[in-house]
Amino acid sequence: MNGPIEGVPALQGLAAGMPATAQAAAAMQPADTGFGAMVSRGIEQVNAQLLGAQTDLQALATGNVENLHQVMVRLEESRMSFQLVMQVRNRALEAYQELMRMQV
Amino acid sequence: MDYGKAFAISAAGMGVERTRVEVAAANLANANVALGADGQGYQPMRVVVRNGAAPAAFGRHVEGALAAPLASIVPGSGTVRTAFEPGHPLADARGFVSYPAVDPATEMVTLMGAMRSYEANVAAMNVTRALAQKTLEIGGKS
Repeated sequence: MNGPIEGVPALQGLAAGMPATAQAAAAMQPADTGFGAMVSRGIEQVNAQLLGAQTDLQALATGNVENLHQVMVRLEESRMSFQLVMQVRNRALEAYQELMRMQV
Repeated sequence: MDYGKAFAISAAGMGVERTRVEVAAANLANANVALGADGQGYQPMRVVVRNGAAPAAFGRHVEGALAAPLASIVPGSGTVRTAFEPGHPLADARGFVSYPAVDPATEMVTLMGAMRSYEANVAAMNVTRALAQKTLEIGGKS
């Protein structure tokens, strides 16, 4: 019975031997450097771009737009930013589902 | 994913071509507006586009293209077109009426060239967007 119990400190030593994971876990604690904060900032930027595109569309609908191509360029930029967000979301979700499919 | 620069370059080109189209349309619209007896009236315009940035190293040419091109509108040259229209209220003593020095053929060629250049800018922007969308497919399913 001692064998498996002694295997647990070995696993703990293995976990302690991975400083990158520990540092990443420690980096999750500050609000600015974590992955979640990074994703939040990106989503905020994309949201700002989408709101700007909405403002441009309102200006276009009301007729006071100076040049059309700037509106179209901004629309395309916001669309591409949103597609980037969707791809990041797809990757994160795929990784999560892969983890959920892991046999335990 | 800084595709904003390529978009801005294409947008700058579109703005220049739009200015050319506007000036050509203004010239055409005023081609048959008679000048006054003292020669005052519509002056034909032409667009002179200069590079917005000072000449720099090659690596900064992209930034130079990003600097808004200086599309200045200068008075056009050419001799005033005169037509013999006696009885016209604006005719001079010999019965000639002056019209702006607008060449409709030149303006139409300018319009055509501006339209093709605008389409080229749109095509360049679409290629940039297609590249970005293909980039987003990296690692994706299918």
